[in-house]
Amino acid sequence: MSYKDKIKDKDQDIYILALESSCDETAASVNKNGLEILSNVVSSQVDLHKKFGGVVPEIASRKHLELLLPVIDQALAEAGVEFEDLDAVASTYGPGLVGGLLVTLTAAKTISLALNIPLIGVNHIAGHIYANFIANPEIEKPLICLTISGGHTDLLYFEDLRGYQILGRTIDDAAGEAFDKISRFLGLGYPGGPAIEKAARSGDRDAIDFPRADLGDSYDFSFSGLKTAVMNHVHNEEQRGNEIDQNDLAASFQEAVVDSLASNLIKAVREYKVESVVISGGVAANQRLREVIAERLKEHNLELYYPPLELCTDNAAMIGAVAYYQYLEQDFAPLSISADPSLKL
Amino acid sequence: MLILGIDTSTDILGLALMESGQLKGEYNLSLKRQHSEKLLPLIEEIFELLGFEAGNLDGIAVAVGPGSFTGLRIGITTAKMLGRIFSIPVKGISTLEILAAGAEGNYLLPLLDARRKRVYYSFFQRMENELFLKAINKAASAGISELPEILSKYQDQEISIIGEKTAEVKEVLAKNNFRVRVFRAEKNHPRAAVLARLGEDYLKSGQADDIYQLKPAYLKIPQAEINWQQKYGSK
Ligand SMILES: [Zn+2]
Repeated sequence: MSYKDKIKDKDQDIYILALESSCDETAASVNKNGLEILSNVVSSQVDLHKKFGGVVPEIASRKHLELLLPVIDQALAEAGVEFEDLDAVASTYGPGLVGGLLVTLTAAKTISLALNIPLIGVNHIAGHIYANFIANPEIEKPLICLTISGGHTDLLYFEDLRGYQILGRTIDDAAGEAFDKISRFLGLGYPGGPAIEKAARSGDRDAIDFPRADLGDSYDFSFSGLKTAVMNHVHNEEQRGNEIDQNDLAASFQEAVVDSLASNLIKAVREYKVESVVISGGVAANQRLREVIAERLKEHNLELYYPPLELCTDNAAMIGAVAYYQYLEQDFAPLSISADPSLKL
Repeated sequence: MLILGIDTSTDILGLALMESGQLKGEYNLSLKRQHSEKLLPLIEEIFELLGFEAGNLDGIAVAVGPGSFTGLRIGITTAKMLGRIFSIPVKGISTLEILAAGAEGNYLLPLLDARRKRVYYSFFQRMENELFLKAINKAASAGISELPEILSKYQDQEISIIGEKTAEVKEVLAKNNFRVRVFRAEKNHPRAAVLARLGEDYLKSGQADDIYQLKPAYLKIPQAEINWQQKYGSK
């Protein structure tokens, strides 16, 4: 490919079309110079998967293929940009559901070939982190970032925006996964995060003292013990013939998750001298989590940053933001890049 | 008229460039599950080798299955994007029709393995002076043992069977006194050149597909949906 002579440097305006289809959102965005979002179109399939209690990969993949062109058209139209104006095209290539990932990854490859512009493969988890920088471009570095969603729970240290160090991650379930499983177990519905949070609002968070995983000095997380404890509690109460207060249970479970997340984060804040703290990922939308972390950061004189709601859930603007920094590093993907469903940070 | 044929419906990755009825080049590569990694590099390669670029294309023909859903989505996504970017027409063509169009005979039974002694099939008639095959039976799946019943009206005709599971199907049909014709190896997989030629014929006769509606021939609803319907009834 011969796009090498077309690559711009930092001083010129760079337009990137970014695509995302790793789970149940089909998304496309156009950005200018990374953090200036010209359009951010997300078509959610959540209603389609509701009745199954989780995302059905084959159904998601079918829908991604159907939504692909309309979503791209809308992103270009809202940005007032034509294909010819693009400097690069980006797509998530993992982690996620392979059938879904392949839809936008293949589309991005085709655009790259057709327009002779660089192809950028983006890690979805990095996207969730960079969503913060879209919302808060002036955020001070170095910083600690906790990224939490249905697929990941990672604690990261950033010296600047071009690189990061992983401090800890979950050794079993991701936090969002724990919310989904317990929500399903309690019959509260899907997606689990908002369902548990809603029930918890009318419950007593001190009603049941659920265990917090103790992983010693490490910054790692674990939620499978908590999940078992909740299930055991319900079985025991049922056997005793006691009625279970769903709201108390949800509130106590949520409190245990929030406490585990916040404690590890504060431990890292104490050890690393940072200027800012950010949380990202779907679970970062949880109000109780934000409240607890913000409260505990007060004694360190640190403010908590989190992306606005529309950037917390899966979207393509966050993929485009990462792609811009990769563009500056000329970190381009070959047309042979494949989807990696279990891609790590 | 420059047509690119793309077939990722089976284990074979098929690519062909056809220019006004002349085959420029063709790949038929048994790549199994590597379609995602290989398709775009091979498209780039075939253009480079033959001195064309994507912007020269006047149309796309893409196989729509039956076949692997993931494989199909790779080819169809590529076709849609090329169609969208260059505003050129796209035609989706049944993988079974590609098999049938590449073989001889007046009654054609193309087959793809659907596992567990079942096949995906279509039944075509080749008419004198007609450009396209006439589909007597549209793409569907059936047990191999059900085929004699399905084709019972055509027992007096010689039937060409092409594709996968031809030995098994031949045996069942012969046992039921059908006259069958089978082919050598090279005819028993969909050929990209046939796809590109069909694409040119269809597009010349004005039969393009709407790229916004184009999708694989899903002959099966998703398993999760089947399970759900068994549990709660269809809704
Ligand atoms: Zn996500």
